[in-house]
Amino acid sequence: MIQILTRYCTLLVLTLLVLAVMSFSLAYLFPGDTLENLTGLVPENEAQREALERQFKLDSSVVLQFFYYLGNLLVGDWGYSFTSGLPLLEEVGIALPATIELATYAMLMALFVGIPLGYYAGIRCYSTTDHILNSASMTTYSFPVFWFALLLILVFSLQLDAAPLSGRISLLYDVPRVTGFILVDVLLSDLDNKSLAFKDALSHIALPTFAIGAITTASLIRITRRSVIDVKHRPYIAAAVSRGLSSWQIFTRHILRNALLPILPLMAIQITTLITNAMIVETLFSWPGIGNWLIQAIYQRDYPALRIGMMAVSTLVITLTILVDLFNRIIDPSREKYEHAAV
Amino acid sequence: MPQFSLYEEEFHPSPWQRTWAAFRSSHIAMVGLVMLGCFVFFALFAPIITPYDATEQNIDGLLIPPSWTANGVISHLFGTDALGRDLFTRIIYGCRITLGTAFITVVLAMLVGVSLGTFAGMLRGVRSSIANHLLDALMAIPTLLIAIIIVAILGAGLLNSMWAITLALIPQFVHHTRSFVRAEMKKDYIVASKLDGANRWQLFVHSILPNMIETLVVQGTLALSIAVIDISALGFLNLGAQSPLPELGVILADGLDAAYLAPWNVAVPGTAIFLMVLSINIVGDGLRSALRKRVSH
Repeated sequence: MIQILTRYCTLLVLTLLVLAVMSFSLAYLFPGDTLENLTGLVPENEAQREALERQFKLDSSVVLQFFYYLGNLLVGDWGYSFTSGLPLLEEVGIALPATIELATYAMLMALFVGIPLGYYAGIRCYSTTDHILNSASMTTYSFPVFWFALLLILVFSLQLDAAPLSGRISLLYDVPRVTGFILVDVLLSDLDNKSLAFKDALSHIALPTFAIGAITTASLIRITRRSVIDVKHRPYIAAAVSRGLSSWQIFTRHILRNALLPILPLMAIQITTLITNAMIVETLFSWPGIGNWLIQAIYQRDYPALRIGMMAVSTLVITLTILVDLFNRIIDPSREKYEHAAV
Repeated sequence: MPQFSLYEEEFHPSPWQRTWAAFRSSHIAMVGLVMLGCFVFFALFAPIITPYDATEQNIDGLLIPPSWTANGVISHLFGTDALGRDLFTRIIYGCRITLGTAFITVVLAMLVGVSLGTFAGMLRGVRSSIANHLLDALMAIPTLLIAIIIVAILGAGLLNSMWAITLALIPQFVHHTRSFVRAEMKKDYIVASKLDGANRWQLFVHSILPNMIETLVVQGTLALSIAVIDISALGFLNLGAQSPLPELGVILADGLDAAYLAPWNVAVPGTAIFLMVLSINIVGDGLRSALRKRVSH
């Protein structure tokens, strides 16, 4: 157990170090001045420039520069945005929770809709219901997310006027920021008309969540179905059938848990797709998340923001992926053998 | 007198023929193949099919509705956009650009990914562990992020977005090849070749590659659908192909300006992307189940 934990911790630290090196080298790779890309500060004259260069160790070797940069990253001194002039830590701190909130709800939707449907399709495989579910998930899965979101906007926001077009909550409500999750913040706040505010926030979040969640749900249905069908063809299921267990008993005792094991690592891959889709959908719904923020940054050539945004998003995704992998490793003893054989 | 020989009548289909037979038995897969065939045909013969030039503007015919509506004209099948460009022509050229670049991207990523994956799969010890785990972790960086970084360094453009998508697709080929090579290396026929004195290169070319090629094709179709979606997404976000170029995502983004007046400018390119991805996915799925059927029988 301890060995596994150290292993995964080393992996996490190593990967984050690689990311830090990449983010540091971006300051050199981006067009423009290295000092400005690295700090987001524009020196007014030569004397100030020299002082800044000395402060950020730009006059010494690249290795020293990198370690100084790493120290700054860890302390939370991430530099300033070109466009807003605000500290980047603060900006990311506002944008990232919004994306996480969107992605969490979409993932929950996928888990609670996709996995049961996948089980159902897998148990009843090659029946009419299975074919319908399978084709529906294949169709949903093939939707380009930006077009799907546009269709949702056209139908629900513009034609039916059922949901608002953009933003997180109506400007009428002034919700204090506590967690960065708008629904939680509304519940924690002491507004007079809390239920109205909650309903408003819910109507804002419904469409983007559905746009991202539908595609993840579709792929989760397919993954689960495949896994259930694979498990159904195992010898131990045949053995259970010959022992005279009812199909419900076989399902609860043998299929349910065994089919979940192969789903987990594939779900780790889904996280990446989910975050990418969330980032695209954010720009369409003007959701103030990290994707929208990054795309605004690239339009305005805000290099320090891009450098940090890249670091923040990939750290989030990689940490999540490694955590899912670790969890999978802990609950799945059959992987131990494989690991010892491999190394 | 009937001429028959019992022995010659016995027909042993090759693995490819058996896969094809299994593929053909699924009607949905065949429909998908025909659809994909149409898109490939459009892509290859775009200049012959299209009645107009993709960038030719016509100020006398702005926002003409599609031909099946009351105000439409048959000379513009899908209508025209806000600059009077024929939408049908642009869609056909769009299929060419989107599908073509996606295909090139996937082939590039496959070449690089398979070679890296083979190296990683044949490595042993600590080096293998580090290489594999790092690759797994780097696989998690989203495409859009890589694209944003590359656009920031090199500037926006179709070519740069292709680089970004190639980079993003490589890890999954590496991952796939690596686990395949690693599983194969333990099998007896590889040991036999090794005992015959085959070096690593010969092992790969003569023993592993022929066994891997079918799963690679399946993996390739999967990657192709991702590449099509990503290229059009980048075009749509104005990070990939730029405006006059008829790329499907760009056409969609252009149509967005007049979405309220002319909804077909959003509907048609979106449907084209959707159908393209759908047909690729159906064919990929059909291939996968055909392979599975063949292996399990």
